[in-house]
Amino acid sequence: MQTNFSLTALADAHVSESEKILRACVHCGFCTATCPTYLLLADEADSPRGRIYLIKDMLEEEKPATPQVVEHIDRCLTCLSCMTTCPSGVHYMHLVDHARAHIARTYTRPLPDRLLRGMLAKVLPFPGRLRLALRVATVSRPIRKWLANLPGGAQLAAMIELSSSFKRRRPTRRLPGATVDRPRGRVALLSGCAQQVLGQNINEAAIRLLTRHGIEVVQPIDEGCCGALVQHLGYESRALDAARHNVDVWTREIENGGLDAIVVTTSGCGTVIKDYGFLLRNDNAYAQKAARISALARDITEFLHELPLQDGVRTTGQVVAYHSACSMQHGQQVRDQPKSLLRRMGFVVREVPEGHICCGSAGTYNVLQPEIANRLRARKVTNIEKVKPQIIASGNLGCITQIGAGTRIPVVHTVELVDWAMGGPLPDVLEGCLG
Amino acid sequence: MSKIRFTEPNREILARRDSIINDLTRLVDPAGLITSTDECRAYETDALTAYRKMPLAVVLPKTTEEVSAVLKYCHDTGVKVVPRGAGTSLAGGAIPSEDAVVLGLSKMNRVLAVNYDDRFIRVEAGVTNLSVTAVVAENGFFYAPDPSSQLACTIGGNIANNSGGAHCLKYGVTTNNLLGVRMVLIDGSIIDLGGDYLDSAGLDLLGLVVGSEGQLGIVTEATLRILKSAEGARPVLFGFPSCEGAGKAVADVIAAGIIPVAIEYMDKAAIEICEAFAKAGYPLDVEALLIVEVEGSDAEMDATLADITAIARANGATTVRESRSAIETAAIWKGRKSAFGATGRVADYLCMDGTVPTGKLSYVLAEISKIVQRHGLRVANVFHAGDGNMHPLILYNANDPSQQSKAEAAGDDILRLCVEVGGCLTGEHGVGIEKRDLMRCQFDDADLVQQIRVRAAFDPRWLLNTDKVFPLDFRCQG
Amino acid sequence: MTDCYKPRDECGLSSAIKDAATAKMPLVVRGAGSKSAMGRPLGGYAMSLTTERMRGVSLYEPTELVIGALPGTPVSEIDRMLAKHNQMLPFEPMDHRVLFGTSAEPTIGGIVAGNVSGPRRIAVGACRDSLIGVRLVTGRGDVVKSGGRVMKNVTGLDLVKLNCGAWGTLGVLSEVIFKVLPKPARSLSVGLGGMNDTTAIAALTAALGSSFAVSAAAHIPASIGSDSTTIVRLEGSDGSVAYGARELAKLWRSFGRAELIEGDESANLWLRVRDAHWLAQPMDRSIWRLSLAPSKAPHVLADIRQKLGVRYFFDWGGGLVWLAVVDADDAGASVVREAMANTGGHATLVRASSEMRHRIDVFEPLPPAVLKLTQEIKKCFDPDRVLNFGRMYAGI
Repeated sequence: MQTNFSLTALADAHVSESEKILRACVHCGFCTATCPTYLLLADEADSPRGRIYLIKDMLEEEKPATPQVVEHIDRCLTCLSCMTTCPSGVHYMHLVDHARAHIARTYTRPLPDRLLRGMLAKVLPFPGRLRLALRVATVSRPIRKWLANLPGGAQLAAMIELSSSFKRRRPTRRLPGATVDRPRGRVALLSGCAQQVLGQNINEAAIRLLTRHGIEVVQPIDEGCCGALVQHLGYESRALDAARHNVDVWTREIENGGLDAIVVTTSGCGTVIKDYGFLLRNDNAYAQKAARISALARDITEFLHELPLQDGVRTTGQVVAYHSACSMQHGQQVRDQPKSLLRRMGFVVREVPEGHICCGSAGTYNVLQPEIANRLRARKVTNIEKVKPQIIASGNLGCITQIGAGTRIPVVHTVELVDWAMGGPLPDVLEGCLG
Repeated sequence: MSKIRFTEPNREILARRDSIINDLTRLVDPAGLITSTDECRAYETDALTAYRKMPLAVVLPKTTEEVSAVLKYCHDTGVKVVPRGAGTSLAGGAIPSEDAVVLGLSKMNRVLAVNYDDRFIRVEAGVTNLSVTAVVAENGFFYAPDPSSQLACTIGGNIANNSGGAHCLKYGVTTNNLLGVRMVLIDGSIIDLGGDYLDSAGLDLLGLVVGSEGQLGIVTEATLRILKSAEGARPVLFGFPSCEGAGKAVADVIAAGIIPVAIEYMDKAAIEICEAFAKAGYPLDVEALLIVEVEGSDAEMDATLADITAIARANGATTVRESRSAIETAAIWKGRKSAFGATGRVADYLCMDGTVPTGKLSYVLAEISKIVQRHGLRVANVFHAGDGNMHPLILYNANDPSQQSKAEAAGDDILRLCVEVGGCLTGEHGVGIEKRDLMRCQFDDADLVQQIRVRAAFDPRWLLNTDKVFPLDFRCQG
Repeated sequence: MTDCYKPRDECGLSSAIKDAATAKMPLVVRGAGSKSAMGRPLGGYAMSLTTERMRGVSLYEPTELVIGALPGTPVSEIDRMLAKHNQMLPFEPMDHRVLFGTSAEPTIGGIVAGNVSGPRRIAVGACRDSLIGVRLVTGRGDVVKSGGRVMKNVTGLDLVKLNCGAWGTLGVLSEVIFKVLPKPARSLSVGLGGMNDTTAIAALTAALGSSFAVSAAAHIPASIGSDSTTIVRLEGSDGSVAYGARELAKLWRSFGRAELIEGDESANLWLRVRDAHWLAQPMDRSIWRLSLAPSKAPHVLADIRQKLGVRYFFDWGGGLVWLAVVDADDAGASVVREAMANTGGHATLVRASSEMRHRIDVFEPLPPAVLKLTQEIKKCFDPDRVLNFGRMYAGI
């Protein structure tokens, strides 16, 4: 597509990168067909092609973001379905990240919005604060309907609503790593910030699986949030700080003992870690190190898939609907490995119709855009229930929470099922479900 | 840069913008009325992005009645209307004008009825082409026209452009697969043409509406013929050391009385582009590739393929590779159908759509490369060879104004060539704004005047998709 | 006898029409006249115009599957020429001589003017679907072309289809161009006996909903012959037809034992279906042709038969119903049209006395908005109303 940037604008590294992305777009419109918000809203400004076009105009004209542009960019789930669809190879993720940073710089959000986003950015990446917030949410439950009527209250109410679906998960403390005798490999396992609080059982299962296969697992004590949450909220510099911090932490591990992989059990985090190399490309001190970290990042299912895997020991055969998280299938283009692991363990894996469409979780999206998120959840649950599964499996805590809030069918992480099949404990939510 | 002219917007309409918008708020659901500059911008162009015009406003109605109310209003107050489906036109068919309201059908995307006994499906016009087949596929049926943009393009747009696709060699184009429409005329009246039966009553207005590029009315519902899928289908890749060999093989297959489901052609440039995206296993060591798809029972496919293979070999085919799995078949077609988009990875392009007699394919291919070279540009060819519908992609740099005009000049030369050898300007993309001024190469004044008269029978005030199809200086003579 | 223009070429055709337009003198336009008794009667006009002297194949490229001809060319001549290259007109046009008892050979221009198709219409489309280009002379005497000789063409408005089935009311064709198809290597029929209308249509629907190369599907009820016959025709390569026949017999097992009909017997059977052979006699019966959704056909027929004595059969898998009724009162028009009104579709009075065709609507009456468009279109092609004025609808 033709672009019209001034030479001064192009001197900015971000702008010149975005210009390259825009030049690849031919405006063919294929992406509109697989965009969840366009499917629901049918307005081109709520499609990738429309957003790309709005971003193009905003960046070309070097103008501050307008409320209209912000509204449509905010509605983007960053599910990256468009990137899977795009024949022209338009890197929408980098473009929308740039746009979000531009919005953060040039647009002042209404106060309630600002407070909410600030709160999310200050709470979610920090396990201690998140635990506290969950307690507050639990006691606020009775007033959520009242809250919903305040400015920005719908989002607060949505948050409280979501938090209630966490209650069946045991909050535990962060895990130590695990050593094995004569390890055949050594990996760092990302603790994940929300996951430490809300889904520690997932990493427990992952550690059992890895050590069972002779892999030593380290979990550096000072590892921080991957930066995805703040990145998508438009806090670019905080995201870069988070990236630099983790690059340092893992680089230290590489230098002291070596790492075969940085294993991630939350695909949303995996997508960003795999992008560290790009994010820090202009930082001379970090560019190389970050690229090395990105190259080592693996989703747990990718990593397991490459191992000579042990056989399962339990009677399986249950019907599992595999829900591929957007960050998994679109962000990381990991598609077959999780299903093939489950099949290998003897589960009957069913594909979900419209599997490429987001469930509405999308990081903090279900808090910030509850109406669209709820419609997408309902659509997702309907599609999942069409294949009549006994269990739903997914590789991302956000989706597990989001879908879990809309169906009675138990939702678990893929590795929990694989671990159970190999002799690990039965995931809590499956108790009494596997007749 | 811009070769294509637009008419001066009607100042009186521009001056009335606020009151027009105010009136429209009473006619459509507020969520379906778009008026801010930023939001209208998303509608200022289609897939011919070199040309852009900001519309007066955009309406996205949800019902035929809303469409009717908007059209009646625009008719009564003299406001132009530009219909829009998914905005995938490569000919600028959906590009607005500044004094026009864009009427988008995207919110009318419901499936209304599916009837397997009578083999039809009734849908709203904003339903995408591929989702029609998706609905009926579980029962082994399909909707035959399959334009490469089928993932995104709408049935309404398909009707406006009489869309074809790779498989129309055997199954025909939109007009051969459409049973009926509900459409709204510019004065707001709602008419039904055809229905769930064959051959509509009276004059064939249905046939007239198909391919009329949104100038006769706005189709809001369509009844489409669905067909039972063949037992099996198998694409085969034939690689040739020369373009002439491939072109000759196409003509020989047709001449031998074999009608495969599809015969698609790619030259070396297109092969490389598509293979990089789809990893379909296209041979990279050949000058031209034919994708030939046959269908039927296994025995039938084997027999037909043996005949086609013999013809291909006789014309020098060096590679012959059958698809061995559904995944491979999907990849082969994904590569072909994404060809235009994938070309965006290497350059900007103008996509031509001329159709030529199949016997002239080799000659025209050779001439095209001469023409494009003469203008100092490159070309990638990927097209429906079986019916002679060529899609040369003229590669250029859109940020270089001199290349833009060279590309357009080359395109014009190519289309003139297509007409000279007995073909036409456009096989399935429509005239739009892109080929408007070339209409005189194909038609005499008398031909055009008669078309304009027919157009005026539907839209006497010339309000629907005004600046499209006919040369700008022509309408006055109608 | 009325005076008759007999132009030999497009130029002569144009000047004849210009003469008539200048004199505001309506013309009866025809080819050879095999279907002159169809449509609303045009008895009162003094002048006629025939294209029968504009003969000959103007273009034939067997390797490109394209043939073009002047309007007065007999269909049989085109068939013969195509047959030399083992090709055919795909849409299997009906020969109206059987119904009308006329003798003049049907011309290709007449076929296009009436959008005349046959049993293969369900598989490969109607005449209008094979027609890819026309030249014509409008009621103003202007020579206009539309479409061309290539299969895919969306350049400008499709006046090709508009004029196909317009019965010469908009323009007089001066050249028609078709895409053609290779003749199938093999053709055979599979039949079932002893079925009532409802089960027969269900059997045809099952066959048409299969993937076995069905090219025609008809049901001839017991009231026509001694026993009912429900048949489909399979066409294609030797292998595919044999395979399809086997598979179809299996598919039809629940309906009865399928019987193979081959060679001339099969070919003759389809000729009879095509030409509505069984209804031709007695000649004094009125004949209707109903196009509707196949699943509705048995109900519509049951409805009509309650009120009217008819002989009938089904083609197009049930989507086409031929009816013969006594040519009295309104020739069943009110019954037929009322039965159709609830189901959708259209009914044409193909054969009836001139008096009857004058008195009742021959073609399906149009809703007001569509009628208005039709009038406007007539006006823009033929403002002086010289071409077959009133043949389809009064005032058009």
